[in-house]
Amino acid sequence: MSAQDYPESETSEINLVTAVRETLAQEMRRDESVRLLGYDMGPIGGVFRATENLYEEFGEERVIDTPLSENGILGTAAGMAMRGQRVVPEIQFLGFFYPAFGQFMYTISKMHERSGGEIDMPLTVRIPYGGGIKSSEYHSESTEALFIHTPGVRVVCPSTPAETKGLLAASIRSDDPVMFLEPKSIYRVGTEAVPEEEYTLSLDDARIVREGSDITVLTWGAMVRHAVTAADRVDADVEIVDVRTLSPLPVEAILDSVKKTGRCVVFHEARRTLGLGAELSALINEYALDRLHAPIKRATGYDVHFPGHQTEEAYLPDEQRAVDAIEAVMSYEF
Amino acid sequence: MSQWSESRPDDDFYRVLAPDGTITADPPDLSEDVLRRQYRTMRLSRRYDEKTRSLQRRGEISILSGSIGEEAIPIGSAAALEPDDWCFLTYRQTPAMLYWGASLERSIAGLMGAEPETIDEHLPLDDEDAPPVNFPPVYVPLAANVTNAVGSAMADRFGDTDAVTLSYIGDGSTSQGDFYEALNFAGVFDAPAVTICHNNQWAISVPAHRQTAAETFAQKAEAAGVPHERIDGNDVLAVYEGTRRAVERAREGDGPTLIECVTYRVDDHNTADDADAYRDDSQQEYWAERDPIDRFEAYLRSEGILDDETVESIGEEIDRRVEEAVDRAREVPDSDPQRIFDNHLKTTSWNERHQREELRAELEGENPFTDFTGEGL
Ligand SMILES: Cc1ncc(C[n+]2csc(CCOP(=O)(O)OP(=O)(O)O)c2C)c(N)n1
Repeated sequence: MSAQDYPESETSEINLVTAVRETLAQEMRRDESVRLLGYDMGPIGGVFRATENLYEEFGEERVIDTPLSENGILGTAAGMAMRGQRVVPEIQFLGFFYPAFGQFMYTISKMHERSGGEIDMPLTVRIPYGGGIKSSEYHSESTEALFIHTPGVRVVCPSTPAETKGLLAASIRSDDPVMFLEPKSIYRVGTEAVPEEEYTLSLDDARIVREGSDITVLTWGAMVRHAVTAADRVDADVEIVDVRTLSPLPVEAILDSVKKTGRCVVFHEARRTLGLGAELSALINEYALDRLHAPIKRATGYDVHFPGHQTEEAYLPDEQRAVDAIEAVMSYEF
Repeated sequence: MSQWSESRPDDDFYRVLAPDGTITADPPDLSEDVLRRQYRTMRLSRRYDEKTRSLQRRGEISILSGSIGEEAIPIGSAAALEPDDWCFLTYRQTPAMLYWGASLERSIAGLMGAEPETIDEHLPLDDEDAPPVNFPPVYVPLAANVTNAVGSAMADRFGDTDAVTLSYIGDGSTSQGDFYEALNFAGVFDAPAVTICHNNQWAISVPAHRQTAAETFAQKAEAAGVPHERIDGNDVLAVYEGTRRAVERAREGDGPTLIECVTYRVDDHNTADDADAYRDDSQQEYWAERDPIDRFEAYLRSEGILDDETVESIGEEIDRRVEEAVDRAREVPDSDPQRIFDNHLKTTSWNERHQREELRAELEGENPFTDFTGEGL
């Protein structure tokens, strides 16, 4: 589930947003039914430039600049998906998804089930999410729990360029609706060698970022990199699991890791109460309690509205918060 | 490229001042004082936009959208309100608040990212300094304000007051369901609600003809049975007069109106945008000739209400006020991180107390995760 899953081929050094763009182009070339849908996607290629040049290459019927209406985008995308198109709608920021909740709940998540499995919804909703860019209100939401709480959709969240390519390709090829959350604060932070060849990654498995024997850190998205630097600082052998497919959860991989280490920290950017950390902690409690040496701690954002840019640093989890949580859990013995 | 991104490229709208400032229809009945106040606020808004943009470039402000070239709409329309009316803004109508005397320093401190509680503490407002028109906080999620505004208007109708609620929406945002839902409620409940559509022809990079196949944005009110009008949005007197008529009808119990004010977004959408990437600037010249401040100034000069001396002294006074406001806003200390817990609920909770304590510990270099009993750190 780490680098060995990527194909051996020529690579190019790219950042995460470039991986999004190149994967979209690759999938559009291989399958004519792939269409992108959203506003500001045309000549400017999206406000994050994630679709730059695609309008020029594929034209306005494959890269569809729509009216400014999130519910309209999701509803028409669902209609197209029901009629054999493989649709990739873009929502500009997670904080502007909320007007689309009607279509999300009523059709996208439910159509397959309510048609007795007859109707597929092959759509992948791309959404930049998370804080760390000092923007204004509703531009930093990390409310992935709202999607995870809804049955009938997959929720996927990559944390590196190479992961982005494999997970996005797999999402687009999947016949399930996928909420694909892009950690926008690391769109342009660093590059890595990404195989140029096509590949997909499993949508049902976690990634072991680093193996360790003392404690498991469960994390995803932009927080993965803070977990990695934190692991280097603590006096413990830390295993880091990038959960990456937030729904359905890769339960076996999570339990295997925690049963092995006997300790766990969940590290996420979302607010704490009923965030995914709550589920992970409950899951471990149900199936691995007797293997634990210490309580599970959740190092997360606070139960507040995402704050303004002067105070967002205090809100956001970082390397230090991960270090503190790991050390606290390491310090305890039942 | 044409001057218009709309599918209806003509000047078929209500106008009082021609682009050169000459009169084309009866001007509204306004005192020289009010005319000067409108002019002064237009200049103030522009200076405010220029200054805050330079602060953004220096990193003192994060992201910013301005009103340059569109000042006639918020100012002309808000000037038609009266004390105790309500006005629901998006991010592009700060000039409406400035017209009613909102504090410049508080606006700037807000842009600098100070939490509202911090601003209240360090730049307190006396009751008499508060704008007499009510301005709820600016809305970022598009079109949510319009539905709230209609609800506000319904409250006044049920309460038998004669207050009116004004709200603003962009051309792009009229594509949102909330907008249609708001107009429909306004029509059904005869709400004293006036909705102003800032048709600046662009929603970030998407042109107006990609928002609607209707001929005009005004006619979107048709299906809701709401009266509508189309106005030259670069003519402050036309915006004022059109809004005044709608406000008067609303106040007298004759229900809502949608007004489309046609203008052009001469600037980038915001400081993260680059309009050159999606439009050429052949339009710029056409719209520069229609600048709402120049047009109004030419009219006021021809009426003898302004001369070189007053124009200059207004400019100097505005520069001074804006600089003073920036200085005062800079004196506001950065918000205490504990502020993020303020004003969520009227009572506190175990979680809130506990998380405040965790944050305090973290900021003081202690380990916030050492409570294993629920009894505190
Ligand atoms: C519900 C929602 N979706 C998306 C956004 C992001 N956004 C902010 S401004 C804007 C364009 C608005 O265009 P328009 O309504 O024409 O108003 P203008 O900015 O041109 O005045 C967009 C897409 C938002 N703030 N709210």
